[in-house]
Order: sequence, then structure tokens, then C-alpha cells
Amino acid sequence: MSPPAEHALLPKLRQQLERGVLSRREFIRFATLLGMAAGTAYAMAGVAAPVMAGGTLPFPAAEPGAKRGGKLRVGEMVARMEDPATYNWNEMANQTRPMLEYLTMVGADNVVRPMLMESWKASADLKVWTLTVRGGVMWHNGEELNAEHVAWNIRRWSDPALGSSNFGLSTFAALTELTGAKDPKGRALRRPLKNGVEVLDSHTLRLNLAQPVLSVAEDCGEFCTLVVHPSFKPPLSRNPIGTGPYTLTELRVGDRCILKRVEKTTDGRDFKYWGGEVYLDEIHFYHYEQDNQAAALASGSVDAIYELSVEQIELAQSIPGAKILSVETAQTLCCRMQVDVKPFNDIRVRRAVVKAADNPAIKKLVFGNHGTVASNFHVSPVHPEYFPLAPVVRDVAGAKQLLKEAGYEKGIDLNIVVGNNDGPWQQAACEALRDQVKEAGINLTVTVVPATKFWEIWTKVPFGATSWAHRPLGTMALAQAYRSGASWNESHFSDPEFDQALSDAEATIDVQARKAKMQKVEQILQDAAVVVQPMWRPVFILASSKVYGYKAHPARQMQLNKVWMG
Amino acid sequence: MRNLVVRRAIQMLLIMLTVSLLLFAIFDSDQFREKAAVAELGGFGIATLSADDYHEWLQKKGLNEPFLARYAQWLKAVAHGDLGRSVEKDVAVATLLKESLANTAILAFFVLLGLIPIALTLGVLAGMNEGSRLDRVISVAAVITTSIPQIATAVLLTVILALGLGWVPAKSAMTDGWSFRPLVLPLLTLLLYDIGYLVRMTRAAMTEVMASQYIRTAVLKGLPPWRVIMKHALRNALVVPVTLIFLELNGLLSQVVVVEVFFQYAGFGRMLFDAANFGDIQVLQAATLVAIAVAVVSQLLSDAAYTFLNPRVRFK
Repeated sequence: MSPPAEHALLPKLRQQLERGVLSRREFIRFATLLGMAAGTAYAMAGVAAPVMAGGTLPFPAAEPGAKRGGKLRVGEMVARMEDPATYNWNEMANQTRPMLEYLTMVGADNVVRPMLMESWKASADLKVWTLTVRGGVMWHNGEELNAEHVAWNIRRWSDPALGSSNFGLSTFAALTELTGAKDPKGRALRRPLKNGVEVLDSHTLRLNLAQPVLSVAEDCGEFCTLVVHPSFKPPLSRNPIGTGPYTLTELRVGDRCILKRVEKTTDGRDFKYWGGEVYLDEIHFYHYEQDNQAAALASGSVDAIYELSVEQIELAQSIPGAKILSVETAQTLCCRMQVDVKPFNDIRVRRAVVKAADNPAIKKLVFGNHGTVASNFHVSPVHPEYFPLAPVVRDVAGAKQLLKEAGYEKGIDLNIVVGNNDGPWQQAACEALRDQVKEAGINLTVTVVPATKFWEIWTKVPFGATSWAHRPLGTMALAQAYRSGASWNESHFSDPEFDQALSDAEATIDVQARKAKMQKVEQILQDAAVVVQPMWRPVFILASSKVYGYKAHPARQMQLNKVWMG
Repeated sequence: MRNLVVRRAIQMLLIMLTVSLLLFAIFDSDQFREKAAVAELGGFGIATLSADDYHEWLQKKGLNEPFLARYAQWLKAVAHGDLGRSVEKDVAVATLLKESLANTAILAFFVLLGLIPIALTLGVLAGMNEGSRLDRVISVAAVITTSIPQIATAVLLTVILALGLGWVPAKSAMTDGWSFRPLVLPLLTLLLYDIGYLVRMTRAAMTEVMASQYIRTAVLKGLPPWRVIMKHALRNALVVPVTLIFLELNGLLSQVVVVEVFFQYAGFGRMLFDAANFGDIQVLQAATLVAIAVAVVSQLLSDAAYTFLNPRVRFK
């Protein structure tokens, strides 16, 4: 990675690092976001960088003894592969990642590294970003990847009509503007910016964003931003052209997905992969439901699984030779209340629910010693701008008093809807909440709906428990879930003061100043009692002893380039 | 007999028409359309769409067409032998149906292969000697196996045979191609319940027959016991169990959902479950037609067997 002209903020970041106001981890995180090579950032922070493959490659270095050949059999739910931009299961992306690639790669250490994009540079106000496309990247059809191809993808991700969750990411939303009109439901309509994506030359493009965005590199490595060839027509499974080292040879949804190493391009030439040596000859995904994956590994039917649920850890420990790997994340469960729906439109009711809940107890019950307790403001200690507010303390008497004031002297009946989209632990958390709030006179019933059903109603139920994925920056989830009118604002929370404070924080590049500003943002949200957010969850995976280089990833991205079979 | 077959065939067609119309009507709701959209775009994706864009998306997917038009289209296609395409799996429904039915048929074959000799023998043995020690043992065992729900049997068998002893794989996905070992657990789960049930029915029928006067007469005439049983008792006692065995064919199609989903066996039940979860309407429709056909045909077979075993019965 390159450009000698570094971002205006970098010297300041360095100063802060030297004065000790910025932790090393924070420094690395921000320096890489602003375009500094991860290796340089690690060196500058005086931390031993993870051993990397060298050059500008985003992959870990080869492990000693790594050998080429063999196949990896992975147990996961084998899903359809329709359109990478509208993927809604991580499994779909896992099946696609060996074949299509991202512009940037978020490593297992949560640091962003350049992938199909070799470098990026932001203007001082973070509104203009110049992206350099990596040279020498070959498509499976023999063409070379260029800036036009990338621009085509970015424009597509910024299309409000596509129905892609990418549109919820700050970068692609900032490539659109308000039309001034509203739809029948009162939602402001947006259209793509005219000059949002500019191609400068064959390998350079520029993003002219409508507002400052800090997370461009981060957004370009999110799970739906796999880069497709401009000739792409869904479903991907019928016409898989990618830049990755593997291609799809068989897909049977609900059964298997087989990927094999690409040897020849479709026009008959030798395929040369830009990312160096990959070891596996074949990657096989076999369909096993979440609960069955550990058992399948125990029977020797697969070598690794997508995810090990916390309740199966004991089973996994009893499997001879199996390795349990884990990582802490910013994935969470938000038991959110709709602030404009009775009885939650009375803040005293929401505060009573929050006060009656015991977050540390729920975390302990569900994840034991793993995971981190959260404090109802949806910013995690892993976020660089996290401002530690005082933890929420359970206060049953206070909750009762609030209910009394709100006119529910004899208690109140509430119902929370949970879809277990991320596993049965969500239901366990809701049931623990139910038992806790009972003491304060809140009769909470837990309605469990199928995961697919939940996604039909997640923005509609007055009280619902939604799983939120890992996001690298604290401001990202806040902007997506709590800003007035945001697409994913499921609680309907709307507070001009909060919006203003959040915008201030987002436009403040200086991490310390930003952190200080986050205090207000977090405090408003916590005081508004919108969510009971008990914990940040850990991620566990399981692999047999034959598998090397398989790592747990905070966003559960399976990265198999350097995985090998012993 | 021919009249019976014709009448049943007409009945079958009418049921198929009604059920498919009902299914179409159920799936012609805004809720279903939303389900389809969520299945394709995800909860977060669909939440980014404005109302207009959402409608445009439905239009593009052909989900906004009027109900009757879609139904007529589907009927026409089915009449031409085209069952449609699975939205989720991107394969022809006919292919999907053929493969999954074949897998379930294999399972059903082995179930019947084990069920009929074991259950009939045990049931007859128990019924022959009502109140004997053998009868008690068989009856208690049958009550136990029928009292445990299949899902619990499935878990118990997995823990003991697969995870504990390691004799068979825990799941029946058969990723390396067809083999018998992965079939053992689903087979045992189905058999344990079904054998218990059929034993109890056979035993009941047998006891009733054994207490009847013509058996007493036969015994008093001095016929050897094996002759009394084989020539006189069995034929009458088998009427009920044989009917049940034919109905079992139909029962298997619905029972297998639990077992196939639990063991991840790629049969008809799992296909149905996946399709229902995803809202894959073409697959659901086709599966329903098949289920109706199996129900009607198995009933027809059971009627035929009934007339054969009991000449007093005649269907008009």
C-alpha cells in the first residue's frame, strides 16, 4: 500500500499515541481507516504486527509446514447464491468469498487491509475519497479488474431500489441525496448523487460523498460488498465470474456447495491469482443446521463448522482433537421498545423496564464468563470512540415507583417478540429478562417466532429483541438504528438533540475529541431508555485437528485463503 | 372394483383442485409477499426500500399479478406436466420432487421391511396368549416405544449409537453418496414407534379373534393349535393391521418431516419443511399434490386388501 501523501490527521494521531491519550489499538484502527498500511500502523504503535504475507497482501503469512492440496469440508447451512449485494445470510457470503472478493478485508484482528483496492486516501473533511484499484487482478474470464468495474459495483450498492443492506452503510448512503419527496409511509426518498462516483483513470476512482464518512474502507469490506463482474446477472450460481482463487462447480441448496481451484480462465489461459499461494484444492460446504454442526464434526462428516453455539461448548470439548476458537465481538441483542407506541410512549414505562433488568446477570446466565456486559447505549468497549458511562444498576424499587407514577400501580403486561435469528441464546436472554422484571410488577411474556417470520416484523413489533451485527465504529450502529428516520430505526427513536450530537461526533476526526462528544450521544440514548442491551456476545468456531489457519472472525467471515490441511 | 377406482380418482382430482386453490389463496396475501421479499432480501435489506421501490420489486418478481391469473397459469403448466421451479433452490420442482421422493421411498421401504414381519409376529404372539408373561413383556415394550415422541427417540439414539458408541454417523446427510449406515438412525426412530403401534393393534385384533366362538369350536374339534392359528385366526385378525400398514404409507409422508429434518435426510419431509420455511410456493403446491395422491392411493390399496381379506365387505 502506498500513498506518500498521508492524511492530514495522521500526525495528530501520532501525537496522541505518544502522549498516551490514544491506545495502541485505537491508533492502529484509525490509522488504517485513514489509509495507512496496517503493517506501518502496527510498527508506529510499537506493537508486533501479526505476521503477514508481505507486500500489500491482506493475508496472513504462510505457516511453517503449510502444504498445498486436499479439501476442506465445512459444515454450515448451504444457502442460495442469488445476488451478493442482497445476501442476507452470512453463509451465502461464506460460500462466495473463495470466489468473489472485497475491496478491503477486515482481518480476524478487526483491522482493515487493502484487498482489491490497493490504497485509499481521504480528504481532510472526509468527504472526498480517492481509491486506487489493485493492478494485475484477473477475472476468471481473463479480463483485468479496473476502476470502471469497481465504480459499477459501488454505483449499484448506492441504488436505493436494489434492496441491499449495503444501502444502510454510511458510505453508500452518502452517495445519494434526498429528493425532497416522501413515500406514503412518510419516509424521505433518496436518489443517487450525479457525480458521486468518478473514474479518474484505469485504476483510480474518486467518491464525492454528500457528508463526511470515516468508515469508507470499513464499509467496503462489509459482507454484502463482494465485487461482481459488470456482466453479472443474478443468480450468481449460474454465472460465477470472480477474482478469487476458487470457482463454484456445484451448488445444491440445502445440500452442498463445492468450490474448486481455478486453473484456467474461461478464455483458455492460465489463471494467475493476485493474492499469492492458496493451499486447498477444493472447498466443500455441506448442509448442516446450526444445532447439527458440532455433531457432524464429531462423526467426522466435516472438518470445520461455521459456528459453535454456546450451549454446545461442552459437547465440543468432548470431541477428541477438536479445536474450539473464539473471538470477542460487537455483536449484540437489543431488546428495544418503540417510543411512539403505547405504553412505551411513556418514558417512565421504558425506564421501569430498564431499571428492573439486570444486564450482568443476563450475560452471565447466557454466556457465562465469555462476552462483555453492555449498558443500553449500543457502543461497545471495542469501538475506538467508546466513552465509558456509568454501568446501569438494577433498581427494582425505582422501577416500581416509576410504574406507579405512570398509572400502572397494579403492574403491567408486556410482550417481547424474539426470532432467535442468531441462535436460541436470544430467547434465553429474553426469558431471563422476563424473570427479572417480574419482581417490579412487569408481567413480560416472551413470544418466540421463527427466524424468517421475525424479519418480516422486526421493525413493526412494539417490543422486540433484534440481533445487531458487529460494526467497527461506535457511530455506525447509532446512525443506522437511532437517527431520526433511518431505515433501520426499529425503535422509532427520534431526538433532534441526539441527531445533532451524533452528527457532531461523526464529523469530529480527532479521536479524543470525538470520544468526549460521544459521552453526550451515549448519555442521551441511555437516559431515553430505548433498549435493554444486556451483552456483547462472543463468537465460537470449531475445527478438527487436521485443519490449520482457520480463525474465528468477529463478523463471522470465513477467510480460507491460507487454510491448509495437515 | 373398477367403479371404486374411477370414483376415487375423481375424488382425488377434486381434492387436489380445492387444496391447490386454497394454498394459492393463502399465499396471495401481503404477508406472504413480504415473506418472499424477506427471504430474498433479508430483514435489513427490505427495510432500506421505500414503498414504491418495494412494489416495483414485487412487480419484477411477478408477485403482484392478480391471484386468478397466477392460478390459471399454474394450472395450465401443471396440466402440461410442468410443476414449476423452486425459487429457493433454483431447480425444477419435478427434479426436486423426484429426488426427495426417491429418498423417502428408500426409507419407507426399509421401514416396511422391518415393520411388517417384526410387528405382526410380536403382535400375534402376544395376542395368542393373552395375559401370558410373553404378552406382558411385548405389550409393555410396545407401550413404552409408542409413548416416547419420535424427537426424543431420535435424540436418545443419536447420543447412544452415534456420539457414544460411534457405530453410525449422527446425521444422515450422506455427503459422500448413498450408504446404509447413515440410514440406521432415522430407520430405528421410525421403526421403534411404528412397531409398538402395530404390535398393539395386531395384539388387540388377535385377542378378539381368539376369544371368538369359531376359534373355540376349532379347538374343541381337536385341530392342532398351529392350524387353528394359521388357518382360522390369522386371516381375520390381520384385517385391521393390514389396513393400518397401507395407511402407514400415507402416515410416513407426514411423520418423516420430524425424522428427516432432525437427521437431515434429504427426503420428502425435509423438502416440505424447507419449502414452507422459505415460502417456496411452487414446491409446496407440488408436494401437496403428491401427498394427496399418496393418501388417496394408499386408501384405495387398503380398501382392496380389506375386500380380499374379508369377502363380506363389498364397496359399491
